[in-house]
Amino acid sequence: MNLKYRIVIVIGLILASAAALFPRNVTERVKGPNGFVFDTVRRVPLKRGLDLKGGMHLALEVDESKAVVADKSEALDRALKVVRTRIDQFGVSEPLVQKEGEERIIVELPGIDDPQRAQEVVQKSAFLQFQITDETQALEKALPKLDAAVKTIARSGAVAPRQDTTTRRASGVSDLLTADTSRVAARADSARPDSAKADSAKTDTAVTPSAGDFSNLIQQGQFPGEYFVANDDVQTLQSYLSMPAVQAAIPPGKVIRFGIDSMQIGNALYRPIYVLDARPIITGQFLTDAKPNTSPTEGTIVEFQFNNEGGRRFRNETSKHIQDYMAIVLDDRVMGRPPVIQSAIGTRGQITMGGRDLQAASDLALVLRAGSLPTPLKIVEIRNIGPTLGQDSIDQGTRAGTIAVVLLVVLIIAYYRFSGALAVAGLLLYVLFTLGILAGFGAVLTLPGLAGFVLSLGVAVDANVLIFERIREELDRGKTVRTAIDEGFSHAMTAIVDSNVTAALTAAVLYQFGTGPVQGFAVTLLAGIIASMVSSIFVVRTFYMVWLSRQATSPQTLSI
Amino acid sequence: MLRIFHNTSYDFIRWWKWAAGLTVAFLLIGLASYIQAPINYSIEFTGGTMMQVEFERPPDVGALRSGLGAAGIEGAEIIQFGSSREFVIRAQESRQIAEQDTAAGTIARRIQQVLTSTYGSQMRVVRTEAVSPRVGDELQSKALIAMIISFIITLIYLAVRFEWRMGLAAVVATAHDFVATLVFMKLMHLEVSLMVVAGLLTVIGYSMNDTVIIFDRLREDLRKARNESLYDTLNRSINETLPRSIITHSLSLTSVLALLLLGGEVIRPFAWVMAFGIFTGTFSSMYVAAPLLIWIERKWPRKTSVARRSSTATRTSRTPRSKATAAT
Repeated sequence: MNLKYRIVIVIGLILASAAALFPRNVTERVKGPNGFVFDTVRRVPLKRGLDLKGGMHLALEVDESKAVVADKSEALDRALKVVRTRIDQFGVSEPLVQKEGEERIIVELPGIDDPQRAQEVVQKSAFLQFQITDETQALEKALPKLDAAVKTIARSGAVAPRQDTTTRRASGVSDLLTADTSRVAARADSARPDSAKADSAKTDTAVTPSAGDFSNLIQQGQFPGEYFVANDDVQTLQSYLSMPAVQAAIPPGKVIRFGIDSMQIGNALYRPIYVLDARPIITGQFLTDAKPNTSPTEGTIVEFQFNNEGGRRFRNETSKHIQDYMAIVLDDRVMGRPPVIQSAIGTRGQITMGGRDLQAASDLALVLRAGSLPTPLKIVEIRNIGPTLGQDSIDQGTRAGTIAVVLLVVLIIAYYRFSGALAVAGLLLYVLFTLGILAGFGAVLTLPGLAGFVLSLGVAVDANVLIFERIREELDRGKTVRTAIDEGFSHAMTAIVDSNVTAALTAAVLYQFGTGPVQGFAVTLLAGIIASMVSSIFVVRTFYMVWLSRQATSPQTLSI
Repeated sequence: MLRIFHNTSYDFIRWWKWAAGLTVAFLLIGLASYIQAPINYSIEFTGGTMMQVEFERPPDVGALRSGLGAAGIEGAEIIQFGSSREFVIRAQESRQIAEQDTAAGTIARRIQQVLTSTYGSQMRVVRTEAVSPRVGDELQSKALIAMIISFIITLIYLAVRFEWRMGLAAVVATAHDFVATLVFMKLMHLEVSLMVVAGLLTVIGYSMNDTVIIFDRLREDLRKARNESLYDTLNRSINETLPRSIITHSLSLTSVLALLLLGGEVIRPFAWVMAFGIFTGTFSSMYVAAPLLIWIERKWPRKTSVARRSSTATRTSRTPRSKATAAT
């Protein structure tokens, strides 16, 4: 090929890589003092992965432990929208919410400082219902049946509850009280400790069964449908209520829900439970807005607003239930104490948060605004990397990389002299090309990616070594410098191509079948292999040709 | 001109029996240690919880362990990670993993509770990984598929580029490196993590690369050699590529050593795998691929030497190199 064209191509490649790497204006969502703002920053367009930047990676799946979801993919698509809206409002810069395959949602939140909170925001079902408390004393009427059910289970001995443990574990324990299972959130935070304790509680009751256990646990509250259970007995009651026989004995058309806060009566703490009409008078689907607030009398609250249709329904329903008590049920837990309906309520209402702080209120408002999840989600994978660890990795990686490069440069120049210097110049361009390719394709730089980069550096050096050794051999055979260079390059070509193609094929397979970090490794390796072939075969040869063309007479010796 | 291992004529292949003995012994040791205890998979593959915690002052590991035990997290591994103030807590017992089926973060949350109640603000969780068993299984099968497919694809490529006998010898040599690296990991008590698998796959590529370069030279020498046995030609090819092998491997080893010594704890297992892989890749090209090729040629000889020459001649007419030579 003509030397002029070669030089043009080399310069073109350098310019293209430099352009790809040139700092440019990028619009980012940045977390400011007042929430999040769009900000334009100038930076090198190389993205760092979570393992280098710090942050949280979550993988979510449809939770089918409670109910089988018919069209999983469709449900997941809708869930994706809700999660995305929530995350967008959560205020992290450059969040990523995407579907992976057909069954999984990936959420990446860089630089998050409260992973627990983020998980809850993502996972909360936020299913809001308004239900009227039972006025028909249904629970009292059903008590004999409930007692009998508990007794049967207790009498069948220690074996039965144990078996039950496994079924319960398999079915998930998010909310032990639920009769209407399809709407239950996988409230992992409350579920796990519950189950662990419930296990022990259950083993206890299995050992000491006593008659009338169920009715002994509860006592009448202050208005119809309200009951109290001592805090110490909550676990026992929850375990009873999770039993199928007990569930079957619950009056039809009614559900039992726990309140979220305990109350002090006398010196003991009690947890309220409520018997509610199973049919909600309205659900959160008509909600248009929700915002946190503090009220002098009720502490933190979330104020919400229905749309016109919701307002009409709400007015209608509440006018039918004047003087009744209305429970506000969020994810199957009753928020605050059910207020009495004084008069028809229109489009506005509020949820009292009990002792919870303003942040909890604003998180609740956030998830209510974004809408409820169409299906419960479970977290199947969490990776959370602190920002300092990411920085440490970068520092150590850079240090190792720099030292490796310096050593390589010294060794190559010491061994190959002038040709070595040409190779080093080629390697510099190789680094530029690799970074350019990565930036051009918007690849994300990860820790395994850095390893792949160092590795492809080895591949690039190998190509140069192959060529130089070949040139030496040709020189040994008494060929002129010009011919030796030509033959050296052309003979080394097959070996370089073959070995690089095999490596590239491996990298491609890794990319295809790998996930996150492995893909990062594959991408940098692939980019590195391409760049190394270009730099060793084409660029270094051009350098030689330039050198040859500048010699007045054909050179007799080559420093190699 | 500074030269090492120039114009050597070592009879490398003569020592193949010793090499084979060494390899078999090494693999047997690996097998024995495998029977003793299975391969240590990281939580990414099995499911489980891993937390890296930085304490303000070195903690009492025993107290920490019993604290975790009291919270129902028995058998958790607590390993020092780098400095004496940094520890990795790993809960990988099957019972704990099973608990993560419905929500991956449960065990992590419990560990966090124990840590906060004991150390308060005197510790910082710098890394948390929690993987449900299903995701782990999926990753395991994915990694396996990736490895098998990359083997098959390279085999096909080598068969097309060289000839099936060489392709087979190269793939067996690479498989040897794969197994030998697994044994090395086992003996070094390295945990098989995603990063290590990436290292393993790179070792495969690297070792393949090394064999390819010797076989490429063999392909060329075979065309030139008239009255020489395959044994001698192979030896010559190995000797001719020896300077390149030595230089390349020392240069690669240099960068791997830099990673090993300075790259930090996270990348260290990867660097170990690479370091061993470079060694075994070179070894297997000389002592597995070459003797194997001779054995294969003896078992399934090419038709005649004339046919061999003509077949390689037709082959070379298709290689880009002959075109390049013609162009220059």
